[in-house]
Amino acid sequence: MFLMRFTERAYFHYTEEDVRNSYRSAVRLTFPNSHFDPETAADMYNYYLDEYEYCEEMGFDGLMLNEHHNTPTCMGAAMNLEAAILARATKNAKIVLLGNPLPISDNPVRMAEELAEIDLISRGRLVSGFVRGTGVESWATNTNPVHNRERFQEAHDLIIKTWTTPGPFRWEGRHFEYRVVNPFVRPLQDPHPPVWVPGSASPETMIWAAQHHYPYVFLEADPEVVGDAKAIYAEAANEVGYEPGPQNFGYLFRVHVQDTDEKAYEVGKGFLSGNAGVGRVPMPPEYMNPPGYTSIEGRRRSSQINLRPDRLVGGVDSAGYDRVVGMNRIVVGNPDTVIRKLREVLSVIRPGILAVWTNDGSISHEDSMRCLELMDSDVLPALREIGEELELPGPFEVAP
Amino acid sequence: MTTTSFVEEFIEVGGAKIHLLKGGDGPPLLFLHSIEGNLGWLPWMEEVSKSATVYAPTHPGFGRSERPEFLESVSDMARFYLWMTQELKLDAVTLVGHFLGGWIAAEMATMSPGSLGGLVLVDAAGVRPDTCEIADIFLLGEEETTRLSFHDAPSVPEYSDLFERELSTEERELKVRGREMTTRLCWKPYMYDRSLEWLLQRVDIPTLVVWGAEDRIIPPSAGNRIHEAIAGSNLEVVPGCGHLPHVEKPGEFSGMVLRHLASD
Repeated sequence: MFLMRFTERAYFHYTEEDVRNSYRSAVRLTFPNSHFDPETAADMYNYYLDEYEYCEEMGFDGLMLNEHHNTPTCMGAAMNLEAAILARATKNAKIVLLGNPLPISDNPVRMAEELAEIDLISRGRLVSGFVRGTGVESWATNTNPVHNRERFQEAHDLIIKTWTTPGPFRWEGRHFEYRVVNPFVRPLQDPHPPVWVPGSASPETMIWAAQHHYPYVFLEADPEVVGDAKAIYAEAANEVGYEPGPQNFGYLFRVHVQDTDEKAYEVGKGFLSGNAGVGRVPMPPEYMNPPGYTSIEGRRRSSQINLRPDRLVGGVDSAGYDRVVGMNRIVVGNPDTVIRKLREVLSVIRPGILAVWTNDGSISHEDSMRCLELMDSDVLPALREIGEELELPGPFEVAP
Repeated sequence: MTTTSFVEEFIEVGGAKIHLLKGGDGPPLLFLHSIEGNLGWLPWMEEVSKSATVYAPTHPGFGRSERPEFLESVSDMARFYLWMTQELKLDAVTLVGHFLGGWIAAEMATMSPGSLGGLVLVDAAGVRPDTCEIADIFLLGEEETTRLSFHDAPSVPEYSDLFERELSTEERELKVRGREMTTRLCWKPYMYDRSLEWLLQRVDIPTLVVWGAEDRIIPPSAGNRIHEAIAGSNLEVVPGCGHLPHVEKPGEFSGMVLRHLASD
């Protein structure tokens, strides 16, 4: 099993009232950046990077980063920069980017160059995930949401071709045109860095990932939904001639360890309180789903696919802490509790990639570091054994 | 509101099936709707159709009209509607366009002024106002956009039927289709074309610019710019009226259109 650590690197020095009193009570897109204090953020960027460096020492296989825009919930607005720093500052762990939002890039060749540099500096440790991005990313970059999926697919095709086809060549696409594609810098990994796709079980994206042999990483999805979604992925994989296994699937969720169950339960509340607003102060639906972002045809196709709805109405951020913890959608506890609960989750979902989202929201750096220490001493060794016992190979053990 | 004085049909233009309402008698008038889609046979149409043949199509990509795959921009839309005027043999047609529809009509006038008889631009998009910005209807959301579109919604008898009625699943889907098409056409630059103001200077057909004095979607200053760009155009600012003069003040509006038709 491939074990990686994740945090959204939240900026949380604002109050729920600040959000509530802002335009449309939204924490993303329009929440004024006057609530951002650069002095504080300078410290935060540095301790978040410290945490990732420490995660490598602890023996995590991967350091997972993500990217969002116009939001305090994720300071990774230029994720490739953080990745480049980690490429140089670490030596062994994979740098897993889940992922670069391709539709908002106006220059996919530049994206291919940046990722190649990260791969070279890290000596071949890049995992290059690609995403469509939320609707907020379309707003923040003024990219027409109607073209989101087309741009995603075309940018992907162009990046892969840029990495794998000797240049120079010409590209005349629907959204991107280049006279001379011939970046001198190519990635170290051959034929190119692995591509993984994270998401919330959108059938269209899962089918696309399966067709490309790309592992699909479920983001906090309901285990029942994961079951249905894996069947959709498997069907698409079968159609192109292979049988997927655990190496084709990943699962990301929030896991926080402290010395006692009581402490972990209290600290874990920070997952939901610091990111004020993701759930408790909802943003308008147009922010996440602007007109055209999901096509009518796409919606119709999705509704024909048998995917049960998430049992947590409103998702992890809105359903209430006790309910979420009770359903193992956030796992908190002392090391024994966490190991027991993780075994339950892993037995059902059977991922070859496990991403533990160890801290976020208002969870302090000190509590985060204690959590990571306990991960190191107790949880990671147990997870490796569980991975063996449940036969959950990761994508670097068995090719997806 | 609806009467039996119009017919509803589908016509084919450029390979696409287009939904069309048509009624009345007299010289042709083509109404181009805005972002809310085809609102049906409205009271002003009933009034004007006594003196003109009113054509009220649903834009390609909206409602039940097909979208030809190439159609991606307002200028594509303008060319498409010039084809429609050819198909329907509408000689010296007067174009009446509201907001998005006004932008399309203005583009048509810059492309082929000789084929048109007159132009009525109603709270039209296409030109960037010099005071404040055009309200971002995507960011505001549908409900808030509708609310801001009226100065005095309770005074409009059709308001609840047009905007507050519970929609069937199919109606809802058709509406979403229109919003998707609006996004396709108008996302960037938002609701204007930098060159339009210059191109309008060669428009030499009788032009009336109508604006709600209290328009909170696109301010009257945009109307001034259009009025200044088109030499000889008339500007009528409707007092106590928001973004949809043809819905909020149908009597005054149809009077203006009829006077404009008579003056051609």
